Amino acid sequence: MDRREFIKWCSLLAVGSMLGGCRKLPFMGDAAKKDLPSLKMFEAEVRRAMSKPSHRMELVRVPMPGRLKTLGASLENRFGMAIDLDACDGCGKCILACIQENNIPLVTEDEAAKGRFMHWIEMRGGVPFMCAHCGNAPCERACPTGAANHTPDGLSAMMYKRCTGSRYCGANCPEHARKFNFNDAVQQGLSLKFNDKVPVRSKGVMEKCSLCLHRLQDDRLEVKTAGGVWRGRGVNTACAEACPKKAIVFGNWLDPDSPLVKVARRRDLYAPADLAGLDPSIVYMMGGK
Amino acid sequence: MVRILFIVFLCLLVPGLASMGYSLWQGPAAWSVDTGVFWGLPISLFVFWIGLAHAGTLISAIFLVLDVKMERRTSILAELATLCALVVAVIFPLMHLGVIQNFYMVAPYMESRGSMANVCSPLVWDFCCILAYGLLSVVYLVVHVLADKSAVAASIHRPLAWLLFPMVLWVHTIVSLDFAATFVPAWRGAFFPIYFIVGAVFSGLAMVNIMLCAEGYRMRQLEKLMLVGSWFLGAFLLWDFALKGNLSVTVLVFAVLLPQLMFVSAVRESTLGRVLVSSSIIVGLLLERVFLVFPSGVVGFGWVDLGLICFGFGLFGVIFLVARLKLSRVIEGEEVLMGEVEETVPKRPATGRFSYFAPLTTPEFRMLRFPLLLGIIACTLFLVWVVGCLEENGIAFSDANLVPLTCPIITTVAGIVLCLRPLVMHIGKVGGVVMVALAALLGVLAGMVYGGVTSVPSGAVVSSTGDMLDVGTLPDSTSTLDSVAIIRTKAVFEARCAGCHGADGRLNEKFVREYYPVPQNLDISRMDALGEDSLVNVILNGRTNMNPYAGRISPQMARGLVRYMRLLAETPAADNAARNEGGDE
Repeated sequence: MDRREFIKWCSLLAVGSMLGGCRKLPFMGDAAKKDLPSLKMFEAEVRRAMSKPSHRMELVRVPMPGRLKTLGASLENRFGMAIDLDACDGCGKCILACIQENNIPLVTEDEAAKGRFMHWIEMRGGVPFMCAHCGNAPCERACPTGAANHTPDGLSAMMYKRCTGSRYCGANCPEHARKFNFNDAVQQGLSLKFNDKVPVRSKGVMEKCSLCLHRLQDDRLEVKTAGGVWRGRGVNTACAEACPKKAIVFGNWLDPDSPLVKVARRRDLYAPADLAGLDPSIVYMMGGK
Repeated sequence: MVRILFIVFLCLLVPGLASMGYSLWQGPAAWSVDTGVFWGLPISLFVFWIGLAHAGTLISAIFLVLDVKMERRTSILAELATLCALVVAVIFPLMHLGVIQNFYMVAPYMESRGSMANVCSPLVWDFCCILAYGLLSVVYLVVHVLADKSAVAASIHRPLAWLLFPMVLWVHTIVSLDFAATFVPAWRGAFFPIYFIVGAVFSGLAMVNIMLCAEGYRMRQLEKLMLVGSWFLGAFLLWDFALKGNLSVTVLVFAVLLPQLMFVSAVRESTLGRVLVSSSIIVGLLLERVFLVFPSGVVGFGWVDLGLICFGFGLFGVIFLVARLKLSRVIEGEEVLMGEVEETVPKRPATGRFSYFAPLTTPEFRMLRFPLLLGIIACTLFLVWVVGCLEENGIAFSDANLVPLTCPIITTVAGIVLCLRPLVMHIGKVGGVVMVALAALLGVLAGMVYGGVTSVPSGAVVSSTGDMLDVGTLPDSTSTLDSVAIIRTKAVFEARCAGCHGADGRLNEKFVREYYPVPQNLDISRMDALGEDSLVNVILNGRTNMNPYAGRISPQMARGLVRYMRLLAETPAADNAARNEGGDE
């Protein structure tokens, strides 16, 4: 290589790298991102998940959830839901509402074929099922890092940043309510941020129904800022709001004025057989009007 | 012979590396995962390799304390295999994690934010046990190698073996509890600890027998023991079948029925026959672990899974061979390395004097009692601290949950203390000083992680002047600070912002350090550079890591918050701190 050639290549290299430096987007990351999915794709996925054959859960009678028996539990609040199976027709609108509220991502074709959807609510034999927020939750006992924890208000919560993805909680949930983020949803263009208040979970962490924790937190901060006792009145979960039959009732089990307690008092309560002994906060109502 | 083996193992390792790399990049979606329990092949391989690792300890330490005489070349070989298998074994649970860089959160040590690993989780027990076991295995091998030359090292050899004896049983019991303590029906069974230990020792014996074949000699005792292992395993498989009704025929054939060929003298007496029988045991037990981890059936077993299996064997073979060659000087009969020689019958030295020791007076116990006492004290202190942490954080636990942590802590502390005296004698004064300095540095680091950096906790009351608290009007559009600094803004700041930014606006480091990218420091130059309007915009619409608060906070209130932040930034930190001392009334 002679001098002329050498200078030519050096200057080309310099110009090239300077052009590279002028780029607006990084080489990887944003540039590699795929197009954002549309709402239609989420609807299609819900239909696909609902068409998946599933068995109906075995339900057994349970008493009305009471105060938590754990250390430091609140005396005023224990949030939960009751799902009226006499009213529910399994339309699946709650699943879509949950997706939009909690920014639940789509899954890849591979995952869908294996039946691994991220939906926090799924239909088990026409019955909507989500994490029951057990008072005596086996998943929390198994979590090595303490990422799965119990709030004093009775929510089985997740600290996503603390999760190391051992998936032990998933193995230890008798009803397999937990979902694992196998994909980097943002990177692969599987996620649409419907709701700014909920973070999109990163790859490798577990997630599940949070009982719309952000709504509760918002209300709590507002009440606490103004000063006063917070009973979570006026808060509702996304699935309960979306239900056309009003079959999902959200409320505070320890608040006698809560719509939940008012409705549930007159009904027979049921829970999946393998969760019944774990003090679930989310129960099913049938008969007994 | 060595060269051929090396090439074979490299041929396994290189494609294995490719699938390992793909797995790390892709995450747990890369390999097949059980649909019900989310666990996959890495866990099977972990149980398999940790099981192989136990054989070395069994043959070396347990036989030593039980006075079973054995040639040194066999026991050092087995210990070396233990270490290599342990290295392979720890890779798999790490790669199994979804967020690998968070693995340290499993250690039962409180971080600056105050989060404690959940000591009730079998995975935490597992982490501690394997850490302690690995450490002690290294120490034990080093002591064994040195025992030839140094009398001090020889004197702590047997006491160390006594420490390892319960440890090895403990470790595999804990591994079995990873399964047995769950709600998965296929994993439940009170016999799991013994079942796992038998499986581990059995597979380890098979591995050692293969190695002895490669070395060109044999030990009949180990072959007999292997045969006994197969009967035990058969009994447990039948027990499992009687209990749950699932029986894997392949496992039964490979690990229980085929080993019975050792009764045929043609098989027993030929090296090839012994290798084949031992290999069939290894295959059978690998399959057994795979079937165990996939209770709802193995589906989608692909090239990545095969690659991971190859990776395990390849890596083990390569590091074992390298270490074996390096250590051939200390292993007896180096001239017979990896070749056919005539069978040597293990020397059976005359059992010599039978000396009776009254309980608690043996020389080993005399050496061990002080280290053990220290270990028990350290363990007790640790447990008291843990219980305090748990109660402070309101985490429910039962005392039984803490028991699994006792053995690894006691053994580690006792093992280290036991080795300190010979170590100091060995490395001399300068080395001793360096070691103490290193230990001190480690302690300081640990303290820093525990204590975090000083910061004002978010609950602290910040007020710059007394009259600020009196004003009760909402912030308006006029820019005078006096009318802005009000109790309402402060309350909002403390409810909404102080969690990350700190009540004094100088970061709540205890929270932020672990969970979020560090927020902006709200100092005066930054405020001035950005200006009020753009800061209001940031609060309402969010920025890189700042959440948007539009809809939760009115624009007017956001403006008030900006002015409050300015007020905080203008107050020197020392003033804030001083005021917080007495500012709580």
